[in-house]
Amino acid sequence: MSFTEDNQSSALGNVQANKLGGARKAPEPGQNAAKRLQTELMQLMTSPAPGVSAFPSADGNLLSWRATIEGPEDTPYSGLTFKLSFEFPSNYPYAPPTVLFRTPIYHPNVDFSGRICLDILKDKWTAAYNIQTVLLSLQSLLGEPNNSSPLNGEAAELWDKDPALFKTKVMDRHKDVEDD
Amino acid sequence: MPPVVLASQRRDGRQRRVFESVFQIAVAQPAPWSHSTSRRLPNLGLAPLGDDHAVPSLRPPFSQQQQQHHHHHHHHPQYQQTHHAAHGPISLHAPGHPQATPPTQPSLPAPTALQAHNTTDQAAYDRAWHVLTAHIALPASATNADNSSGTLPGTTTAPSTVPNHPHPQQQPSASGRSKGTGRGPRGRREVPDSLEFHDAFALVANAHSLLPRATPHPAGGILAWHLGQVRAHFAQHVMPLLAGCAVVLDDGDGNVDNDAAQEGRDSLEGSLQQGRRQGGRWATGRKGNLYERHMVAVMSSIRTLEAALGLYFDGLNQLLAGFARLAEVAPEAARDAELLNARFRRDLHALVGSSVSEGLLRSVKAVVVRLAGTVLGIPSPDETGSEGTTRPAAPGPGDLQVQAARERLVELVQQLHNVGLAGERFQVLFAEVMDAIMSAFVTGAYAGLWSPRDPRSFAAAMDKVSRGASSSMASPCIASLDGWVENHFARLSFEVLTCISASSQGPLAVSLADLKTYQSLALSRLAALRIQELFDIVLAWPTSRPALEDLRATITTTARRKQLTDSLARALQTRLLHPGCSTLEILQMYISIIRALHALDPSKVLLSHVESGLQLYLCGREDAVRVVVAGLLASPEEMRAARKVNDVWRQQQQQQQQERQERHQGRGRRRDEAGGSQHARLRGVAAVTRSPAPSLHGRWPSTPEIKQNTPSQSETRHPTKLIELALLLNDPSHQHRQQRGGPDDADLDPDLDWDDMSWLPDPIDAAANYKRPRSEDVIGTLISALGSAESFIKEFAACIAERLLIGSSGGGSSGDPHAVDGGRFFEQELRVLELLKRRFGEALLQGCDVMIRDIWDSRRVDTGIRRAWGRRRQKQGRGGAAATPEGRGGRGGEEEEEEEEGEGDGGIEYHARILSRLFWPGLEREHFLLPAEVVQMQRRYEKGYEGVKSRRKLTWLNQMGQVRVELEMRDRTITVDCTPVEATVVYAFQGEGDGDDSKPVQKSLDGLYETLQMDEDLIAAALRFWTTKGVLRRVGGGSGNAYVVVETLGQQDATPTDKAPAAAAADEPPAAAEAGKPSAKERARREVYWRYVQGMLTNASASMPLAQVGMMLRMLIADGFPWSDEELGAFLGEKVAAGEMEVVGGRYRLVKK
Repeated sequence: MSFTEDNQSSALGNVQANKLGGARKAPEPGQNAAKRLQTELMQLMTSPAPGVSAFPSADGNLLSWRATIEGPEDTPYSGLTFKLSFEFPSNYPYAPPTVLFRTPIYHPNVDFSGRICLDILKDKWTAAYNIQTVLLSLQSLLGEPNNSSPLNGEAAELWDKDPALFKTKVMDRHKDVEDD
Repeated sequence: MPPVVLASQRRDGRQRRVFESVFQIAVAQPAPWSHSTSRRLPNLGLAPLGDDHAVPSLRPPFSQQQQQHHHHHHHHPQYQQTHHAAHGPISLHAPGHPQATPPTQPSLPAPTALQAHNTTDQAAYDRAWHVLTAHIALPASATNADNSSGTLPGTTTAPSTVPNHPHPQQQPSASGRSKGTGRGPRGRREVPDSLEFHDAFALVANAHSLLPRATPHPAGGILAWHLGQVRAHFAQHVMPLLAGCAVVLDDGDGNVDNDAAQEGRDSLEGSLQQGRRQGGRWATGRKGNLYERHMVAVMSSIRTLEAALGLYFDGLNQLLAGFARLAEVAPEAARDAELLNARFRRDLHALVGSSVSEGLLRSVKAVVVRLAGTVLGIPSPDETGSEGTTRPAAPGPGDLQVQAARERLVELVQQLHNVGLAGERFQVLFAEVMDAIMSAFVTGAYAGLWSPRDPRSFAAAMDKVSRGASSSMASPCIASLDGWVENHFARLSFEVLTCISASSQGPLAVSLADLKTYQSLALSRLAALRIQELFDIVLAWPTSRPALEDLRATITTTARRKQLTDSLARALQTRLLHPGCSTLEILQMYISIIRALHALDPSKVLLSHVESGLQLYLCGREDAVRVVVAGLLASPEEMRAARKVNDVWRQQQQQQQQERQERHQGRGRRRDEAGGSQHARLRGVAAVTRSPAPSLHGRWPSTPEIKQNTPSQSETRHPTKLIELALLLNDPSHQHRQQRGGPDDADLDPDLDWDDMSWLPDPIDAAANYKRPRSEDVIGTLISALGSAESFIKEFAACIAERLLIGSSGGGSSGDPHAVDGGRFFEQELRVLELLKRRFGEALLQGCDVMIRDIWDSRRVDTGIRRAWGRRRQKQGRGGAAATPEGRGGRGGEEEEEEEEGEGDGGIEYHARILSRLFWPGLEREHFLLPAEVVQMQRRYEKGYEGVKSRRKLTWLNQMGQVRVELEMRDRTITVDCTPVEATVVYAFQGEGDGDDSKPVQKSLDGLYETLQMDEDLIAAALRFWTTKGVLRRVGGGSGNAYVVVETLGQQDATPTDKAPAAAAADEPPAAAEAGKPSAKERARREVYWRYVQGMLTNASASMPLAQVGMMLRMLIADGFPWSDEELGAFLGEKVAAGEMEVVGGRYRLVKK
């Protein structure tokens, strides 16, 4: 008898998400990426998380986003702002977005071209994640790098050994990027 | 020289052939000389083909040059010579002719030459011929000489070609009935009796026996000659006169003194003047009347032609008389004569018919239009003058004017027929006129007239529609149209056609089959009209129902059905689906369309063709769903009001319609200019009526004006809700089904299986009035048209949430909340919920179920808690609160205010409504400080609740709920139901302890802001609310924002409850009213938009022009972004003013902090 949904829990989830801007959204077959991203955008706007923000790129392509992370207090990145780009596959959220730092960053888990080593963006991705959770994870990654599998070995080393030098490197490396 | 001559001959031959082909003279004038020698050229109008002699008759008969030539033949031989040289072919005899006539007069055989020939037979014959032709020669000027063999000079000794050379004196000036010939003036009428004539006639007719050696004309020769001269005469004299008749029209003063007319002014003049006199009689009534001037022209032409034809037939009759005399002698010739006579008449009519000028036709048409129009009941424009609003109507049997017109028309047609003007061209013209009249009648008589002859009540009409029953009786329009065609249109056609065809083309009377054809033609025109009007018909539904009956009877072919749908779809695009129409109007129209088209075509095919565009457009209207949901949930009071309005409206319309019909029937002149008091929508219809066939665009403005003109009326007619849906939902037939099926075992009821598209009524149930057309299912169609289930359900949830919270508190005052709230009060919500469940499935609507259950549970819990409190009885009040089972949630704060000088917290009765946070939409918390007593109450309630439901916590939503406040003033007590915010504000004015002191409490807005920590807008709104209730009064003039309690009414000059609202509204600065306007919801929305803008400018691009911001927002906001760029610009402008943004080079960007 149902109209579009077959199972009650998913419908319930939908109702919750729609009505109350719940932070989590169950995966739903058949919902395309753009629609999901639009919903996520609404969630980001209605219940924003401090220090992070994201928005579709100015060309209007919903599958390409720009995001901003403010460096957390009490980390070497404090006071800095980092720009990121999100490229969503068409089967999002069943595959993770490709996330890059567009602002040069000196970080153990980020290489010099901005690629990020973060498990939830690779094999640990589930459709339960969304842009906001990714951004929050990245924000916390700034303060708590995973030094066991660094992309930038020097940074991983300095993180523990010489925080002052690390901070200097961070400041050296950081520079604001222009809009494209 | 010879080559030149040869060339000339060839050219002349060609010329002649051309001439012959045009004037058919070769047939009419056989050339008797063809086998003879060319010893002379008798000038019988044609030279034989084999004869190389060029003769003047080769020239076109009207050639002036030719006339001169003849003149000079006799009198100026020398000149003839020069002429000769100049016109070689004319006078030149062919070199190869041995018996050439004297070179000086080659083309005119002289008497001497004839005598010399000694062929007496021929001479006698020619003489006889001449006598004949001289007798029947038409009175004419010199111009008819050249093709007249009757002027054969060779037959007489004297140069007596008088007809060829009429002296001015000789020309019969006026009578024309008598014509002098060279032999001496002789009355024409006498001629047939003259012996000479009959001898000559006998000679000519029996030439082959009496004059065997002559080369005779065939028996018809003389007739042919007559026809030839008639042609020439007609062309030369009559046609200019006819042209003169047209000039009458142009000049307007009947002056025909132009050269052409003057030249031929003979006998015809008289008749012309007669006609003009006739015309003058007509014209006496009204000078310059176009119709009368046309009539004058027509009558003049007719008289002219009559006179001319009289002349022609005169000659013919002479000849016929001759034949008659010969009858016993030469029966063959007489027999031929009949044939020739008929041919002559036919030719003559053809001549007249084909030479009719455009101007004359125009005049005839004008006259026929006028007369036929009068006969058929079409008011002519100059008859009604400037008013022009009289509708066409079938004239009554006793209408003298009509009878006169009918007689006049028939007489005219008869006359036209007699003069040969009623030929093919007239028939075409008449057909055109009748065609135009039929169109004019149909459009004029029925446009906008949907004639509710038997006005049914709204419910009855709806009932009828919903049952798909079709009224079997033919619609009044069709009946009357059929009657008109039969009794007037066909009759007139018959009369006129009989007139025309009686003598010439055999019986052509209008048959019964023709009548049917006429009727079907008229019907198709009515169909076209109704199709064109369909939009207005739908708009006026159900009053316009008879018009649909018309349409149903006429929409019989697929082509016409397609025309209908196309036309309606176009009308919808131009008139409805544009930003000027509110969604409510569009939806109402949609409902009307569903009903009307279903009445038209229960198979729903037409509807499906039309509605696609509508649906597409509605999907773009974001409030469409809301309107529908609100309509479905309309309260019984609203329904009652709507019914009442409908009744009133219908009465008005009926009244209007009656007036219109009365006016119409009386053919009265209506000039009331849409009488100011009439209903606005009616005015729209009336406007339509007045201009029978305006374009869609032209008609459109009449509908929007509804709003501006009579706001009060249109408000009632255009309720703010789509009440129709609620009415439908509560339709007795629906309820009947629901009782049968019942909401619980609804699955078993095929009637409510919305997904079964092939449903057909159970044969057993399909008794008389049961059959419900599924396809008319308005609600279902609307819901499915409005797109996605999600949006619908979301809207429904929001709407139902609001209603549950408000509605439930209404029932709280009674003792048994269960019965009140759950049983009766939510009946409608439940019904809509059931309906939606069937459409969308249970799962999607679970949230709504939860909401309703919350309300019920709240009741129980509330009772339980109070019971646990030991039932402290309070005086009155109730409240609703919302709480959520898990953690932070909402609570609808509900409190009861004591009187101003109340006795503390003891007097508060407090109820809470516990809501499940996850399932209720729009639960925003609004922060402000409730009165301490209420907060205390909340604490207690929380404790009680936690006692009942362990591990759950209440979060209070202070701004929701309802409060009954009883205010005791010094001189009065006021009891008001209001919101918690308002109650809180007024509570702040509570007297500070010293009960009866003289000074009333005064607070300022700022002070309240401090103490209540409430949003200023809310405080202002609450203060306004109390001001209108006469509880508070603003002090300190227009700009002051201090308020004081109105302890006694004496302080104000009148009863504040009456006057205060107006006064408050008046002295409230509009800006403040505006500022107070945005609801919490609106503010939240603006906040979200602002975040969007921030996010956009933070991430996507650091700076953007306004248009791009707007575009992005529209594209990205899932629920739609309703603002225009202007609104967005104003919004961003506020942010710029607040220092949060800046504009650089037309691009907005965030101010970096």
